[in-house]
Amino acid sequence: MSHEGHYREAHPLIFVFTHWINLLCMIGLAFTGFYIHYPFFAGFMNGARTIHFTLMFILLINLTSRVILAFWVKDANQLGSKAVDTDLKNWLPQEENKHQFMETVKYYLFFRNTRVISAKYGALQKIAYLATVPIILYMAYTGFALYTPAQSWGIWPFFAAGVSFFGGAMGIRIAHYFGMWVVILFTMVHAYLAAIDGFKPLWGLIFLWRES
Amino acid sequence: MAQEVRGEFYDLLAARGVTRRDFMKFCGSVAAVIGLSEVYAPQIASAIAAGTLQPALWLAHGLCTGCTESMAQIGVPDVPTIVLDLLSVNYWETVMAAAGTQAEDNITATVDKGGYIVIVEGSVMTGQGGNVLRIAGKPGVDELKEVCSKAKAVIAVGSCAVDGGWVAGDPNPAKATGVQAYLAQNGIKTPVVNLPTCPVNPEWVVSVLVDYLLVGALPPLNEFNEPKSLYSETIHDNCPRRGHFENGEFVQFGSADQTAQEAAGFCLYQMGCKGPQTKTTCPLVRWNRRVSWCVESGSPCIGCGTADPLKGGPGNWVDAGTPFLSRLADTRLPGIGGVQPSTIGAVVGGVAAAGLVVHGVVSASKGRIKGVPQESEKKFDSKNKSSEGGDK
Ligand code: HEM
Ligand code: HEM
Ligand code: SF4
Ligand code: SF4
Repeated sequence: MSHEGHYREAHPLIFVFTHWINLLCMIGLAFTGFYIHYPFFAGFMNGARTIHFTLMFILLINLTSRVILAFWVKDANQLGSKAVDTDLKNWLPQEENKHQFMETVKYYLFFRNTRVISAKYGALQKIAYLATVPIILYMAYTGFALYTPAQSWGIWPFFAAGVSFFGGAMGIRIAHYFGMWVVILFTMVHAYLAAIDGFKPLWGLIFLWRES
Repeated sequence: MAQEVRGEFYDLLAARGVTRRDFMKFCGSVAAVIGLSEVYAPQIASAIAAGTLQPALWLAHGLCTGCTESMAQIGVPDVPTIVLDLLSVNYWETVMAAAGTQAEDNITATVDKGGYIVIVEGSVMTGQGGNVLRIAGKPGVDELKEVCSKAKAVIAVGSCAVDGGWVAGDPNPAKATGVQAYLAQNGIKTPVVNLPTCPVNPEWVVSVLVDYLLVGALPPLNEFNEPKSLYSETIHDNCPRRGHFENGEFVQFGSADQTAQEAAGFCLYQMGCKGPQTKTTCPLVRWNRRVSWCVESGSPCIGCGTADPLKGGPGNWVDAGTPFLSRLADTRLPGIGGVQPSTIGAVVGGVAAAGLVVHGVVSASKGRIKGVPQESEKKFDSKNKSSEGGDK
């Protein structure tokens, strides 16, 4: 969003870790997911499924930790300021985000040229980051529905409604598969925006916790 | 229930060349199919023997007669046929001797007496006010309503009777549907047992009948009104090729090694096997006098046991599972038709990637990568000063 927020106070080390874990899980889940979808080389199905089924738990534990930490950890939430406050503020609309949603869209569609006033995260960014939570929960729900195929299992009724909502066992599989593409699209756009918004300082900070 | 089996029943069996041993063996396997231990075989035997009293009607609606044909492929010596005889099936178009009004009279007489069960084969053809299929000079659906409303139970055999089956495939000109949905729409509360697959597996029909005669009630059913013991686990979970699946050994369609892979009995996942999504006991009960079944004989499961009796789900198994040789079903896009989910994903991903490249080029050309100045005041605030309700 800006070139001004790249210092450690904005990204505490613990969130560098949660971000790394999240990213590695996503890469692993997408790779093994592609393989489960269509085994493009021989001999790896057991491995792919074991990895998928392990990473899915790590991803969910990481998500839970990240959400809990948002209420505890203090970090900066304004551009150019190192003053810290509860991280949760970053995830909810702040004063600076008000009335800026359309302006931000216009900026990215080249309908305006000056950057918009913003908190550490802009209006679009907040929506995108918040959306990662339901997206992961959606992947978990559809995934565990695939993981629990036997109707005799006690947990089945929790998934039965979802399975019929997505059009049966095949439908929920396709829903899980499309969910992967949603994650991929999010990551593409997210990494792209982080790159044009100061590749070195921003990536250096979020991956290596390096201030430049 | 009486433990001893009536002597004349065994005489009847003997007349058909079936020994007492054969019969008990059969009862043991029926016990296995309905999820009971073999110690129940004597009880099953006596239930079957007592079954002479149970009248039944076999209705034929929008069908290909495949299910009746399938019933002919049960074990040899054909004990199950005897079970069906003992049901006293008073009407079965394909196999009965009666014809014309005499046959119709059999229905009326059975319905008037009551206490009968109905087996329906084929879809309910509701198109053109039910005139797509006329039986005995009336819309077929009239017969169905009349006969089912007074029955003790209805058994829908085969996918067509369950949810319309392939007969209900898009665009479904005959407006075919399943028995359970149709009866519910018409306020008929007779319990329905659904036995999908195309055709029906005869062993399952016999097992439900025996269960009914034995316990005097229908077997426990799942949310699709299918017997839980028959439709709870996926084919994939009981498949003899499962080891090859885990090892990542697949038959690859069109590859140079295909013949060798097939000979080795590799998994048919890459050939679009629908076993992971289909819940039936095909691998356990098997087909054609228990000789073999689809996957064992080398064909991927095409998911014919997928059922959507109440509609609003996947639809009939053909719409839900085609193309048969692709891993996932096509997604139907309006105006385009069926497209594989992987194609949709790749196209959307490709368009997005191209969009980002263009966006990057334009951003660079406008100097944004180096950084552009920030506005000094929100647009909203310059338009609405605080006195007029702005943010600042
Ligand atoms: C978060 C929890 C998740 C759970 C519980 C989960 C679980 C599962 C399960 C059980 C399967 C079926 C495996 C099989 O049939 O052998 C599966 C398949 C798959 N998963 Fe996940 N998964 C999760 C997250 C993800 C994520 C984040 C992605 C992608 C980024 C992903 C991509 C896929 C794909 C592409 C398939 C193959 C679908 C097919 O074509 O059959 N999954 N997942
Ligand atoms: C190549 C992959 C990725 C790169 C380069 C990347 C880069 C970044 C950067 C630079 C930030 C800080 C943004 C700022 O301060 O303006 C960030 C934050 C964030 N990223 Fe990523 N990211 C990647 C993958 C992902 C994935 C796969 C997800 C989730 C699905 C994700 C979710 C988030 C979230 C939720 C934040 C908010 C901050 C936080 O949780 O601490 N990222 N990412
Ligand atoms: S052949 Fe089909 S059901 Fe059998 S293991 Fe392979 S994918 Fe599963
Ligand atoms: S294996 Fe599949 S296609 Fe074959 S009968 Fe069973 S459900 Fe139908």
